[in-house]
Amino acid sequence: MKQAIYGLILFTFLALPPVANLLESIMIMHMHMQMPLLVFAGFLIARFFQLKFPQFFERWNANGVPGMLLFLIIWLYWMVPRAMDEALTSPFMELFKFFSLTFLAGIALRDSWKKLGNIEFSIMYIFFTLKFIIMGYLYLAIEDQICNNYLIIEQKTLGWGSLAMAVCFVIFGFYWHFTDQSEYQKVDL
Amino acid sequence: MEQTLKETKRQNPKKLLGVNTEDAKVALSYFTVAFVSLLLGGILGLLQGLERADLIQLPSWLNYYQVLTAHGLLLLVVFTATFTIGYQFANLSHSFGGLLPKVRKLAWIGFGLMVFGVALVTVMIILNEASVLYTFYPPLAAHPLFYVGLVFVVVGIWACCFGVFINYRHWRKNHRGQVTPLLAYFAMGVFVLWFFASIGVTIEVLTLIPWSMGLVETTNVMVARTLFWWFGHTLVNIWYLVATSAWYVIVPKIIGGRHFNEKLIRLVVILIVVLNIPGGFHHQIIDPAISTSIKFLHVFMSLSIAVPSLMTAFAMFFVFERTGRKLGGKGLLGWLKKLPWGDVRFLAPMIAMISFIPGGAGGIVNTSNQLNQVVHNTMWVVGHFHVTVGMSVVLTFFGICYWLIPYLSKRQLTPKMNKIGVIQTIVWTVGMTIMAGSMHIAGLFGDPRRTSDTSYGGHEVAASWISYELIFGIGATILLVGVLIQVYAVFNMMFFAPKGETEFPVAEPEDNAAPVPLWTERWGLWIVLLLAVVAMAYVVPIVDMILNAPPGSPPIRTW
Repeated sequence: MKQAIYGLILFTFLALPPVANLLESIMIMHMHMQMPLLVFAGFLIARFFQLKFPQFFERWNANGVPGMLLFLIIWLYWMVPRAMDEALTSPFMELFKFFSLTFLAGIALRDSWKKLGNIEFSIMYIFFTLKFIIMGYLYLAIEDQICNNYLIIEQKTLGWGSLAMAVCFVIFGFYWHFTDQSEYQKVDL
Repeated sequence: MEQTLKETKRQNPKKLLGVNTEDAKVALSYFTVAFVSLLLGGILGLLQGLERADLIQLPSWLNYYQVLTAHGLLLLVVFTATFTIGYQFANLSHSFGGLLPKVRKLAWIGFGLMVFGVALVTVMIILNEASVLYTFYPPLAAHPLFYVGLVFVVVGIWACCFGVFINYRHWRKNHRGQVTPLLAYFAMGVFVLWFFASIGVTIEVLTLIPWSMGLVETTNVMVARTLFWWFGHTLVNIWYLVATSAWYVIVPKIIGGRHFNEKLIRLVVILIVVLNIPGGFHHQIIDPAISTSIKFLHVFMSLSIAVPSLMTAFAMFFVFERTGRKLGGKGLLGWLKKLPWGDVRFLAPMIAMISFIPGGAGGIVNTSNQLNQVVHNTMWVVGHFHVTVGMSVVLTFFGICYWLIPYLSKRQLTPKMNKIGVIQTIVWTVGMTIMAGSMHIAGLFGDPRRTSDTSYGGHEVAASWISYELIFGIGATILLVGVLIQVYAVFNMMFFAPKGETEFPVAEPEDNAAPVPLWTERWGLWIVLLLAVVAMAYVVPIVDMILNAPPGSPPIRTW
């Protein structure tokens, strides 16, 4: 339950106008910091809902796949440049961004995290790695301004940032795949 | 019986063999280089202090900036690096029951490369070809061989890094389901940080070599500075992590107590490793070409290091109080009296820890945008790092010497040597307090750093600094006395102290301590998090600096 309170504090902090304005003033901070932090706030808050409504999650997200799909749809929606633009220009969309990323994506992610099997998890992992690579390439390759609110240099920065994240994902993927963690686990002789 | 002997051999060979002499040679060789550097660097420090105080005039063949460059590099890079490597390899050898032969070989290769590199760098400074100050960033350009020397130093450090990684993995594979000994865990943190810290400076130096040779006309000064501080700031926290290893693991044993909760200690190591590198930006808070909002965000990155620092402060004082009370200390502060103040192995690191309080507070000033405007490039900064490095780190290193060197050379710490150590610690503390204190004050009045003559034609503001500069000179003189005592003590304990056994003091956990979680050993994950934090911090400013780059600077030689 403590976690849920921390999550709520984080959510409130992110919603403070000066904090939101600062993070949204830089494109990469908007996408790579504010949005993941909102999801993380929801991830922490989820504990409250999991304890309050265990049956709901059991019924609707038994194997974790529906929750993950919900997370995926919401996350991908906010990757669309136009959606980011709208969040900056329309207060209603801004409200929807805070709500959807925290209370739909974050909670769904938390509930699915442990339920997903290895294969589903690997698919998600590869999907996100590819998403970072493709997005990075797109943002770097496109010469036009794709967001009304951000300059082209911010677009390029976001491209490099996405590629850097992709590199981190790839390194971790290789580490996880090629190191045998059981080598370090206790063996019963 | 044979089975037991075999088991002991496998699990804890040092119990049978004492110190591993081959490994001791490695550590002692590194310490030799460290303390020779301390002696040379200390003498150069005094020369600087006296020149600054206008008490001497350096000859034309050895100018202030040469002395400043050599003092900085010998002490901040060579002394700290070689001491750290010697100490960490000794810790690993003790924790793992000896180093692997190939790891020992890597340590020697690293030693050779570093000594060669340092020699090249020093020769270039002496020839007055590299008066570029210890930060060596452009547009000041040194002779190409100066940078080549730095490459050798970095490659030497990498050899040691790989040695540690290999030994660590080997131990874990052979001790399934166990967490590594705490000192080895610290060593891993130190060398992981070192490896990733040095990537920034390596890229910088590799671009500076063709530039200083004239093959490339210009270089991007802002990118170079950023890459330097990627390394420079992390180096600060490498020293800090090394010192912390002694505070958490060694000091509790010396005072007769147990160490703090191991899970917390490991969390501190993880936090320092993951959060560290982006702190470098607070060294560039006045630099142009980084937007104010980015600088503002970086204040969070820099201050995040305060979290593990405060965790350490509270944990250590908890250990002191618990031990003091166990030893019979009564009342609010009675436990303080029960601590072994007469034991240099405790006194030196304790003063180091206490000095970290003003040191850390000064660091917060430097990190804060508005306050930094007041103290930037003044003597305040010099005073700050003399408190943090010169006290918090170096006094811990000195304290370590008094048990580690006799242990490695199979000699004893005699009561007389302990007394010398206590005197040395007091001399050092007095000298540094006088010098760094006056530097802080002079800095607040605007006295600039890195300037040989600050009389400014007798201007009244400049005249107000003179009395403080004289105090620098007095402090520097006392500190040189401290250096001489320390160097004497180190070589005495290495070669002349009476033969005997000395304890390697490693604190044990409390009897009812919870088991340490295995997840703390997921170094792959910590490293990826480190990279992700670096990416978050560096992508925005570096893309901006490159895509909006000014024409760039040709090599400049001001001397």
